[in-house]
Amino acid sequence: MSLRTSISPPTGVQDQIQDAPSRHHMWQRISPYIYVGPAVIYLIVFMIIPVVQGIQLSFTKTPLVKPDGGTGVGLENYSRLLSSPQFYNSLGATILYTAATVLFAVLVGAGAALLLNQSFKGRTIVRAVITFPWAVPTVATALIFSWIFNRSDGVLNEVVGVLGVGQQGWLVDPKFGMAAVVLTSVWKVMPLVMLVVLASLQSIPSELYEATRMDGAGALETFKAVTWPHIAPTVRVVTLLMTIWSIRRFEIIYLLTGGGPVDSTNTLVVNVYRQAFSNQELGRAAAIGALGLVLSLLVTVVYFMIERRNAVKEA
Amino acid sequence: MTTQEAQATQHPEAAHKRRLKAPGQRNFSKPVRFIMLGALVLFSGFPLYWMLNTALSQDSELYGQAQGWWPHWERLADFGDVIGNVPIFKWLTNSVVIAGGTTLLSLVFAVLAGYALSRFKFHGKGAAGFLLFATQMLPEALLVVPIYALFASLGLLNGMGGLILANVAFTMPVSVWIIKGAIDAIPYEIEEAASVDGCPRVTILSLVLTPLILPSVAAAAVINFFDGWNEFLLAKTFIAERDLWPASVGLASFVGQYLTSLNSVMAAALLFTLPALVFFLLVQRRIVSGLTAGSVKG
Repeated sequence: MSLRTSISPPTGVQDQIQDAPSRHHMWQRISPYIYVGPAVIYLIVFMIIPVVQGIQLSFTKTPLVKPDGGTGVGLENYSRLLSSPQFYNSLGATILYTAATVLFAVLVGAGAALLLNQSFKGRTIVRAVITFPWAVPTVATALIFSWIFNRSDGVLNEVVGVLGVGQQGWLVDPKFGMAAVVLTSVWKVMPLVMLVVLASLQSIPSELYEATRMDGAGALETFKAVTWPHIAPTVRVVTLLMTIWSIRRFEIIYLLTGGGPVDSTNTLVVNVYRQAFSNQELGRAAAIGALGLVLSLLVTVVYFMIERRNAVKEA
Repeated sequence: MTTQEAQATQHPEAAHKRRLKAPGQRNFSKPVRFIMLGALVLFSGFPLYWMLNTALSQDSELYGQAQGWWPHWERLADFGDVIGNVPIFKWLTNSVVIAGGTTLLSLVFAVLAGYALSRFKFHGKGAAGFLLFATQMLPEALLVVPIYALFASLGLLNGMGGLILANVAFTMPVSVWIIKGAIDAIPYEIEEAASVDGCPRVTILSLVLTPLILPSVAAAAVINFFDGWNEFLLAKTFIAERDLWPASVGLASFVGQYLTSLNSVMAAALLFTLPALVFFLLVQRRIVSGLTAGSVKG
């Protein structure tokens, strides 16, 4: 209903124009722009201009309280960042967090998909339970896990206590902070890998399996000859998506550790937020953000280079 | 040995069909599979179970002693009082307004743009497609600072309207791809017949095409709604007033803060989670195909 009413204004315009047949041709030419225009203008205003402004901000010293009253400082933000160990620590945390999250999410997710591609009793329920975490809002995820990881009363310490290990501060000990954040993230994003790979597995024509079975191939050989070549492109795409999403993931890390303990989980996006809204330095924050964007772009470029190489190989 | 074969003895034909559908994927032996599936179910299911268990515990049971392993179902009766400790209903109402507004605005843009990208050839189509693809890659955390600066100068901070405007920029591109994919799959002849009858384009789009792609519109709506429902970073940055917080920001204010009884917080979090859980399970297949279509085909 609401859709219909909000589309209605152009109808009137078009009716007018149909009364004048000579203009009909021109109308044909501009009408696609009327349909696509709103979305494009919207994205330019709320995405492209902010990105450009963000890059401009990164060359200024701008306090949070006066966001439009910055003073130009040239490349100072960048030179200070590139010579500060804190920035390299943040870059390292981003790479470690991303690599570990993507690795475990893809391994566990693809493994789960292989398991769920076999038929067994209760498969629907098992798949639903494994899918659940993906639907749980991030903030709720952070609440649950911060309670599970709680130092004095959390259930994880209860469990490891049975194994004879003393209480650990999972979220406050620099030894464990990153591992706890990665575990929570894998829990949350693994189901998506599972669902996407499972969909790909289910599209493998059964004749291929019949044929390899006729040839007397074992499970491993079948996997290498049929399953993997079929799902590999999907696994690559999902790995790219997981990587980009991990580089930009904010909520889980910010809510569980706030970038601590001792900056061990202070990834670039968490760093941007802290610089902007705790240290109130919008210029420095924007500079970190710009460098983070470069990192995301690099990953995308590398992915497309790998894809192109594969395409050439296959041709 | 497998379930398939066990069933084959009872319903040979049905089992045969099933084998054709999912044959040969016996990558794991039965006990190995059982252990691995068990571990996965425990890993994925336990935290949610623990949220429920905590919500049904009494505050005194949570600290200084081991929390019981089994939920006290009888406490369900006091759930209302427990939740009353947290202004969750006010926050959930705000979440509904924000998520609903985001969905509506996003879908209007998406249906129009998806239609143009699917049915027209025009100059700059590639550029528009690239814009819709590339903006999905932009990190929220990079944009939050300049958008904050922009909204501060426009006076859009501390209101749900401004937050909706910002959310749409992040949710709309995916919706455009979902809608475009859906329209691509509808044969053009249907519209042609309508346009021969002298139907204006916009009528065709709203009265002929939109009903045909309704399942995809619904899927896009669910994705948009729960993006808005879950969104935290922009909301936390833009809205300072406690009464205007969505549930995500409200609940996040309890993380690592144990002044409010934890069972109340968990009960509220459960209330915040349940709608998302139900709807995502209903549309998960579509979401997966939509996500991959949008991000891969670009």
